[in-house]
This record gives sequence, C-alpha cells and structure tokens, in this order.
Amino acid sequence: MDFELSADQKLLMTSLDSLLAPYRIPPTGAHGYVEYSAALQAELGEGGFLEIASQPGFGPLDAALMIEEIASCPVGAEVAASTLIGPLTGSFAAPMALAWSLGRPSRYLSLTRTVCLFQDDGVLVGTPRPDDLDPIESVVAYPLASLKATPGDAVRYSGKEAAAIKRRALIGIAAEAAGLMRGALDQTVQYVKDRQQFGQPLGHFQAIQHRLAEDAQIVHACRNLAFRAAFEDDDKSAAVACLYAQEAIRKIIYDCHQFSGAMGLTLEYPLHLWTYRLKFLQGEAGGKGAQAQALAAEIWPDLLSV
Amino acid sequence: MEFGWTEEQEAVRGKVDAFLNANLPADWEAMASLSPGSQAVTDFSKLFCPMLEAAGLLIPHWPSEFGGKDASTWEHFIIGEQMWQAGEPRGPQYYNVNWIGPTIMKYGNPEQKDYHLKRMRQGDVIWSQGFSEPSGGSDLAAMRTKAERVPSLAGAGGDKFIINGSKIWTSYARLSEFCFLLARTSPGKRAISVFLLPMDRPGITVRPIASVVGDGDFHEVFFDDVEALESELLGPQDKGWEVVRFALNFERIGIPRYALAMRTLHRAVDALIADDAFGAVAQAAAASAFTACEAARLFAYEVVDQRSKSNPSTGTTSMARVAIIAAERTVADFVLDWTPHLFASDEDKMVATHHKRAIAAGIAVGAAEIQLNLIARDVLALGI
Repeated sequence: MDFELSADQKLLMTSLDSLLAPYRIPPTGAHGYVEYSAALQAELGEGGFLEIASQPGFGPLDAALMIEEIASCPVGAEVAASTLIGPLTGSFAAPMALAWSLGRPSRYLSLTRTVCLFQDDGVLVGTPRPDDLDPIESVVAYPLASLKATPGDAVRYSGKEAAAIKRRALIGIAAEAAGLMRGALDQTVQYVKDRQQFGQPLGHFQAIQHRLAEDAQIVHACRNLAFRAAFEDDDKSAAVACLYAQEAIRKIIYDCHQFSGAMGLTLEYPLHLWTYRLKFLQGEAGGKGAQAQALAAEIWPDLLSV
Repeated sequence: MEFGWTEEQEAVRGKVDAFLNANLPADWEAMASLSPGSQAVTDFSKLFCPMLEAAGLLIPHWPSEFGGKDASTWEHFIIGEQMWQAGEPRGPQYYNVNWIGPTIMKYGNPEQKDYHLKRMRQGDVIWSQGFSEPSGGSDLAAMRTKAERVPSLAGAGGDKFIINGSKIWTSYARLSEFCFLLARTSPGKRAISVFLLPMDRPGITVRPIASVVGDGDFHEVFFDDVEALESELLGPQDKGWEVVRFALNFERIGIPRYALAMRTLHRAVDALIADDAFGAVAQAAAASAFTACEAARLFAYEVVDQRSKSNPSTGTTSMARVAIIAAERTVADFVLDWTPHLFASDEDKMVATHHKRAIAAGIAVGAAEIQLNLIARDVLALGI
C-alpha cells in the first residue's frame, strides 16, 4: 500500500503535466458548450500516452492516473476508453467511444474510430461508418452522437472478456469523473477566494467553507477509489468506484454552481465545461442504480436467491 | 502508488483473526455491546491483553528496548483495525498501547518508563484521558483545571503540585488506575502540563454520567486540592502542548470505525436476506453504505501510509476523519431504515453495539465541524 507516486509514475505524470500546460488555461471570451481539443487528442496519441497501459511496467492504474489528470483540464479529449479498453480489444484503433445502447447519445462517438456497443450478453466492438452515426447538438460538454446501427466489422466479446471491457469502462468513468470534479472544485475554490461580497471573500464564510471542505473530501475519496479500482482491476472495486463517483457528482455540481453564482451559469465562464461533462457521466453505464445493483450482487451473491 | 498488501501484512491480519477466533468467549458479542469502558469489558481486557502480549500482538510496534518488536506502523494499524472490527476486546487498554505508552517512551523519565511501560506490557492497567472540561471540549485551549507548584520544604523531597478543577466526558475514569491529565501550570494560554496521575489520590471524585453511548464511556472527574508529585509530571512543565501534539500524532484518525460499520452492514444485510426482504431499493442503499465504508478505509490507509513514512500530518487526516464519520452514520442509518428491529431490540448485539457507538463518531476526538474547518484552512487555503 503506497499512496505516493512511484518514480515511473512521477516521470509519466511530469511528462503529461508539461503536455497539458497549455490546455489547463480556461478558454476566454465567448465559447461554446463543448471544448473538445483535437490538438490535445493528437498530442496524447503522438506522445504514446494512450497506449500507456500496455507498456512494460505500466498498467491500468497508470492509465487511471492520466485519465484523472487530463479530465481536470477545461478542455477534453477521449482518453479513458482508449487507454483502459484499448489494450483488451487489440487492433481496434483509438480513440474509442462507448455506446450503452443503439440510438442514445454517446460521448466522442462522432470523433472516434472505434465504438464499444454494450449489450445484455456481451460487447460488440467495431469501426463506425459515418452513415452509422447521428450527430447530436446538446448542452452537454462532450461531443455527442448516437449509433444507428451495429458496425459491419464488429467483433463480439462475451463472458469474461466482455466483463473485463465493462469493468474497464466503469473504472474509466470513475477516474474521469474524479478529475472533472477536481477541476470544477479547483475553479470554484479560486472563485470564492477572489469574489468579494459583504466586504470579504466569499470563501471566508464558514457556511461556504464547510461545504467546500466536504466536497474536497468527497473528491479525494473518488480519486482514491478510482485508482484502487484500476490497481485491483476487479468488478467489485470498479463498481464501488463508479457508484461512489456517480453519487458524488450531484453534490459537487450543485455546490460549485451555487458558489459561482450567476457567473457560473454563463457560457463565458468555464465552470460548465466540467459540470456539464459530469452531468452526462452521472447517468453513464446505467448510473448509480445499475452500479449499486451490480455491486450488491458482487458483495452479497446470496441476494440472487431472494 | 499501489494498493496491495505484502505477505507479511496479510500474515499479521490472519494471525490476529485466528487469535480472536480462538480466544474470544462465546458471549463476547453480548459483552462487547456493553462498551469498552464497562466493568465487564474492562475486567475481560485484563485477561485478554496478557494473552495478546503472549502471542506477540499487544505491543509489537513498540521499540524492542521497551519490550516490543519494532514492528511496522502498518502492523500496528492492522491489529487495531481487526480489534475494532471484533468489538475492541482490548477495552480501554487500546489507549495504552496506541499512544500513552509511546508518549511516555518519548517524554518519560527512566522511572516513569520503567514502571508504566511494564504495567502496560502486562496488560492489566487501565488509563483514562483527562482532556475535555466543562469549559472546553473541542476547544482544548479553554481548559481551566490548574496545577499549582508548591515548593518543598527543605529536606521534604521534590516539589508538589496542587490540582484543582474538573474534567468531563472522561472515558473509562471510574475503573482507571491512572489518568493522562492535562492541567494549567502557569499563566498563559499554552502553559499546560501533563501529569501521570494515580486515580486513587485523595481529592479525586469520579461521577459516572449515564449516556446513550454506553456504560463507562462518560464521567465527570473532580479534583479538589489533589496532590501530584513532581515525579508524576510527564515532560517539562508548561510544555504539555508539545507532549499532546506528539500523542495525538499516533491517533491521527482515531478509531477505525468503518471496520465495525462494515461488519454491521453485512450483519444487517444477512438479516434482510434471511427475511427475504433484500429488495432492489435496500440493495442500492446497502451498496451505497458499502462504498462509504470503502472510501473511509482508503482514507485511513492513506493516513497510515503518511505516518509510516514519518510524514507530517496533513489535511488528509481531517478528510479521513470526515469520511469515517460519514461511513459510520451511513451504516447506522441503513440499520434504522431497513432493520429497525435490530436497533430496537437486543436480537443482534453487534448491530446494537455499532449503533450505540455511531452517534459519538462526529463528536469524539474533535467535532466533525472542526475537521471541516481544518480542511478549509489546510487543504483549500480558504483562511478562517
């Protein structure tokens, strides 16, 4: 048990940190709902970051560390599925999108080369053609599209292989949500330090301090649980991390917007770039209901006899 | 970063569990429901701790020069986690092994080390902690109990201190042989000292306070012209804050409450399954409570990791305490929501025990709101 980064992890994160530096600056002026960065996506790909989990000496935990860090930036790129599921699906190219059913919005789908379509009895992985997709205009801060048809080259994964893909998807959601929550919270903490009301910074009011302190604790717990899930790479830890994160999202979004006032509701201010990705993740993969049921079945297999 | 256990750590956990299985009596759960400070558990601890010491599980983390085995911080923590999960059969003696002993090792004179550490190793001495007062609970600096130095007459031995004041909420006081007592010894906010005071000293009155938490957990302790010897002072006079800070460093997160909470959750769910009543809504609530315990557990491990590396305490410690409180409350609420019969009756002693203790989680060892203040200050730099 060691909560500090290893020497290799430090090197990885330092290298990632310098790549991310320009992408940490929130966009200024009027900007849209979505800040997908093709440049960041390309840099991550060219730098070999998306293949980190298959590199000797690295694995899912290192991918989760990266996913969380990248998600804390105001701009986005598809990292979670590529880094965590990519190694399980071999030849299919990054970036990768997750579709939880046909005809429903999926993140990054219009920009990806591979899609994982989750079904009751397995996962289909294939290359979507432009005709297979319906782009979606949305307030969600992810580029969205829906999958109209199963890709022609889809390969079916079932049993343990499908379970592993699903597990990695949940770990990715948990790590990404943790990073997004951290980004939103950092932005908000800075805001309450700067914003003066009643002759003092908002952050001097204990009512605000206590809620942000709770939020900091919850976000830290999300990170720990996501990293532990990536390290263990088992169904139970993955469900714990994803459930905890999806339950946490609601409070973090509410508090961050509440303390940012009307400024936080503008498109000009970047808060929505984190919170409107979080809103989508809150219900991803069936949301907390599905995660809770899966977790309960893992912990208490006897319940199936009820 | 990694989240695995070493073989040695797994072995310690296995050894402790095997010891508990072999040595806890059949009626242990009923006894444990009386709380660590009850007469029954206190008496039992004096039988149990010597056996624990014989098995090398009482003070392995103490340095070998004081009878320990120089075992790691992790080994110490794993033992504590398993003990609390089992209902804390060491009774009040967890104080001794966790922090009073190590504090005496650091600040005690040779006689204090020799006598007190030996007694703690024997596993038959009960200590109480005289910190909180009517005028100051979480606000320790508000304490009023005074110890005035009285110079000795020539040839009459060392100086004495005359102690006047009172303590409150003092756990285990009624049955304790010694008190780790804080008192003001000079003017000035921080001029306090620590005394290792025998509780049979004339002038000490202990009054139990009946409470919902458990028998033996709350007392008032009055000090009326109580004499303390200079030799009972721990560390330099007026430097008590330093001693207390050192002591608290060992108890950064307090009791690993999530361990018993998790066990309680399992017990409550088992009861629901047996009653054919563990439906989807209960499953969701149980899963959610499980994640709260897991979050608390990882926080505790993170703090232990920091302590094992001799890193200073950080805001993570306060976050750990908030997470542990949340876990404790979530499970207590689950029991009330889904198995109220286990709360309201003595059908399952362990569930009743957990619920009894859970209400104190956010109050003991510094209120939850103080932890939030510390997170705001130390983690978020929001200024107070």
